[in-house]
Amino acid sequence: MGATTGEHEQFYNGPLNDGLPSIVAAAHELKSPLALMRQLSLMLEEGNVPADDQKRMLRQISLTSERALRLTSDLTRSVRLSDALFTLEPINPQQLCEDIVRELAPLFNAHNRDVKLVSKRHPLLLVANRDLLRRIIMNFSDNALHYAEGDSAVEIRIATLKAGNIIRLGVRDYGPAIPIDTLKTLQGKLANCAPTPVHARPQSSGLGLYISRQFADAMNGHIGVTQHRDGATFYIDLQASHQLSLL
Amino acid sequence: MKTPSVLIVEDDEWLAEQHQRVLTIAGYKATVAPHAIAAIQLIDEIHPDAIILDVLLTGNTAFALLHELQSYGDTGSIPIILCTNLASELSIDNLKPYGVKRILDKTTMAPDDVVAAVRNVLL
Repeated sequence: MGATTGEHEQFYNGPLNDGLPSIVAAAHELKSPLALMRQLSLMLEEGNVPADDQKRMLRQISLTSERALRLTSDLTRSVRLSDALFTLEPINPQQLCEDIVRELAPLFNAHNRDVKLVSKRHPLLLVANRDLLRRIIMNFSDNALHYAEGDSAVEIRIATLKAGNIIRLGVRDYGPAIPIDTLKTLQGKLANCAPTPVHARPQSSGLGLYISRQFADAMNGHIGVTQHRDGATFYIDLQASHQLSLL
Repeated sequence: MKTPSVLIVEDDEWLAEQHQRVLTIAGYKATVAPHAIAAIQLIDEIHPDAIILDVLLTGNTAFALLHELQSYGDTGSIPIILCTNLASELSIDNLKPYGVKRILDKTTMAPDDVVAAVRNVLL
C-alpha cells in the first residue's frame, strides 16, 4: 500500500494512521468470494456435474470474481484519493443510475433478483465525480443484493431535498430490518469512517462502507442509512448543480 | 430406509447451492435456510438429522441460533457442523456444549468435506 509497516500502529487490526483501511478488513472481505470460487472450481474439476449445472457454476465463478475485483479496484482507488486526480462535474443522476442498473442486471439476474431505478423523469443534475459516485452506488447495490429477501427488487432511488439544493441517491433493499443496536453501530461507522470488526452485516467487515464514505468525502457528499420496517436504504447526498440557473 | 435430511443455514446463496448440490449427489435430502429465523421455521417443519451452519449470518448470528436450539430438548440433540471463514478463531471444545460436532473451514475445505462431516456426525 505504498507505506512501510513501521508507520502504522494498527497495521493489522484497525484503520491505518494514514487513513488506509486495515489489511485484516480487506482480507476478511475477500475471503467469502475466494472461498466460493474455490469450492465451485474444485467441484468442476471433479467432473461429475451435469452440463446445465456446469454452465451455471462457471457463470457464478465469473460474477463472483467480478465482484471481488470491484472491491480490490475500490481499495486501490481509495488509496489514491489523496492524489486528487479526479474532477467534480455536473452529472445527470438518471443517466448514471441507468448505466449502473444495466451493468448490475446480469449479477442480479443470476441471483433471480431485479434491480430497478425509481426516479422522476427529469431529476436535477448533481455535482460529483462520475467514477467515484458509480463505485458508491455499485457498492450499496452489492450490499442490497445480499440483504434483499426472496425475489424482492432492489431499488435505486433519486430524490431532491432541501428545496432542490441536495440530490439524494439511495439504494433500497427489502430485507429484514436492521436491529436497532446494529443500526447505531452502523451509523457510528458511517460517521467515523473506520472499518471495525463490528459488522454492518454480520458477514461484512464494513470495508465497503468505509470506502464509500471516503469517496463521498472526496466529493463533499454525505452518506447515511435509513432503517425501514422491511429493509434499509443506504444513501448519498450530494450538492445539486446550479448549472441550469446560470443559463 | 428414510433419507437423512440436512439443513444448510448459509446466507451466501451460491455457496448454499453448492453444499446442497454435493449433499444431494451423496444421497441426502438437503434444504437451505438463508438466515437464523428461516432456519428455526424449517427445523420445526423438516426435523433435520444434521445442520450445517455458517457463523456470520445476515441478522442473528449462528450463536443466537445455537442458543435457541439448546433451549429445547428435541432440537438440542441435532448435531451441528459449523462451516465458516472464521474456523481458525473457533474452538470445538468451547462449542461442544452447543451441539457443535465439527468445524469446517470454508477457505480450505474440499466440496466433499460437507458430506464426510455429515456422515461422521450421523454415525
